[in-house]
Amino acid sequence: MSDQLFSLHSWPRAIAHIDGDAFFTSCEEAIHPELKGKALITGGERGIVACASYPAKKLGIKRGVPLHEARRICPGLIILPSDYETYSLFSRRMFCIMQRFTPDVEEYSIDEAFADITGMRRALRSSYEEIVVKMKKEIETELGITVSVGLSITKVLAKAASKHQKPAGITIIRGRDIADYLRNLPVEKVWGIGNATTNYLAKMGIHFALEFAQLPEKKVRDKFTKPGVEIWQELRGESVYPVTTEEKSSYASISKTKTFVPPTSNAEYLFAHLMRNIESACIKARRYSLAPNRIGIFLKKNNFNTVGNEAKLSRPCAFPLEISGIIHDLFASCYCLKDIYRSTGVVLLDLEPDTNIQYSLFDDPIKAEKIKELYNVADELGKKFGKHALHLGSSHPIDKLGKGRRGTPTIREQTQLKGETQRRHLGLPLLHVKP
Amino acid sequence: MKKRMTINIVEQKFASFFREQRRMPTYSEMLPLLGIKAKSAAEYWIKKLLDKGTLEKDAKGFLKPAHLSFNLPLVGNVAAGFPSPAEEELRDTISFDEYLINNSTASFVLSVTGDSMIDEGIKEKDLVIVERGREPKNGDIILAEVDGNWTMKYFYKKGKKITLEAANPKYPPIIPKEELQIAGVITAVVRKYHK
Repeated sequence: MSDQLFSLHSWPRAIAHIDGDAFFTSCEEAIHPELKGKALITGGERGIVACASYPAKKLGIKRGVPLHEARRICPGLIILPSDYETYSLFSRRMFCIMQRFTPDVEEYSIDEAFADITGMRRALRSSYEEIVVKMKKEIETELGITVSVGLSITKVLAKAASKHQKPAGITIIRGRDIADYLRNLPVEKVWGIGNATTNYLAKMGIHFALEFAQLPEKKVRDKFTKPGVEIWQELRGESVYPVTTEEKSSYASISKTKTFVPPTSNAEYLFAHLMRNIESACIKARRYSLAPNRIGIFLKKNNFNTVGNEAKLSRPCAFPLEISGIIHDLFASCYCLKDIYRSTGVVLLDLEPDTNIQYSLFDDPIKAEKIKELYNVADELGKKFGKHALHLGSSHPIDKLGKGRRGTPTIREQTQLKGETQRRHLGLPLLHVKP
Repeated sequence: MKKRMTINIVEQKFASFFREQRRMPTYSEMLPLLGIKAKSAAEYWIKKLLDKGTLEKDAKGFLKPAHLSFNLPLVGNVAAGFPSPAEEELRDTISFDEYLINNSTASFVLSVTGDSMIDEGIKEKDLVIVERGREPKNGDIILAEVDGNWTMKYFYKKGKKITLEAANPKYPPIIPKEELQIAGVITAVVRKYHK
């Protein structure tokens, strides 16, 4: 029987998922109204499309497409550098508006959030459907962007719902209607099901979410690991993933990457980028009082192939000055003079709290303590004068040679209002119209 | 021990109620607000505030705060001698952000170009706060797209007829022919003279 009822009750929980439609380009359209309805993309500084507006998407320009390719498809394409400052302002406002309706808002990414509105019907004197309609309307009128909304009884279903109708859609999946929506939903579109699981499911003859959800429990528990079982439960309407409101306070790993244009094979410049990556990652680690046990680096070639290597540290350490030697060795093991590279990156792995770190036999504790103090000062200077105010000589070529960005800086970066500094801008989005 | 009520404390309580609710309390709301049991006591304080000029009655006899009584950030009245920090504590202050911005999620900044609002005192390079999604009232300054052009003008509506007027005799009034897209209502102007 295909009309299976997974949940007898329509709303055991009510979870909304809100997803900005082509978020970066929508933000640009909101502050540059003359761009509305045009084929436009952001990501100009990266050399690949970061976000494409709907008219651009229609022409086949998708995220990740190289710029020259995008220009070939659409000669009149408007290419903008990413203005993350404005995008985060819009993002914060979107979450703020959602919090008017419920305190349980999970900021999932810059353009997506979950809101648990279970039990808010009486307080807001509206049905769950009315609540999400109102939430959507307030975001759209106040911010001038459109969002797609999904409402269902678990996070996985809510996310599937918001994808169902895009852009500017509202999709509501009640407990009773789950099967109808899952029937035509390919498994690979389900949140949390990646490539490997999709192929594995295909081996079992499962191609649609409904077939997966209908598997008997025993089989699921035998054949899948815990995440698989959880997705199966969520698809069946049993909420196992809570909407978590806390800000992230711990990380399993921290990574920092930077793409630069034009691509280069200049070893000094590449190493400078790598050191800057390490400095950025370590600043973040120190902010959360963490230190890594292992460090990985990678270099991405112009043909998008990646080479990388990793090393274990003798003790957890988040001070670039101490790590630089290791990074140098790792870099030497990956770098090849005849290759051209487009980005560098580092990953700090096996993070642990930086309190009570045991020095090993071969460490020089006095020197290490001095370096620690040095970085306390560096962090203070960073707060006052901007990140990387005090940096290593090996990362200095970046400041000297430029960060290697393509095209013009964003309009926001070019505009400085009286009293603003390069680093500190007014916390409101700037409209760019000339009345 | 019960705290002695003074007219200043009563005034602050009304002010904080007004700031939060944007209206005056009813008599029954005054009881918990002032921590009193009888409406006659409320009446007593109202009379004091009316005499002092903090409150006024409108034409229909409803209470309202007198001109600007509660709107400005209040800092304790500085008496001769040492100001009491306790009193300053009681009075609520608002930041310039809060003062200038009504709805923080819907407000945008625009740097003014042109002189069409010069007689309103809005000059080129002034910053205006534009609030999206706010219904314009007659006489409001709005930012709008009229027949494909962006403009900042006074908004007037009589019946169905909308007129946009500049604050500069150089510019004739605009009556939108095809389309009028209102981007937002100007809620404040900021001009900064020094860095």
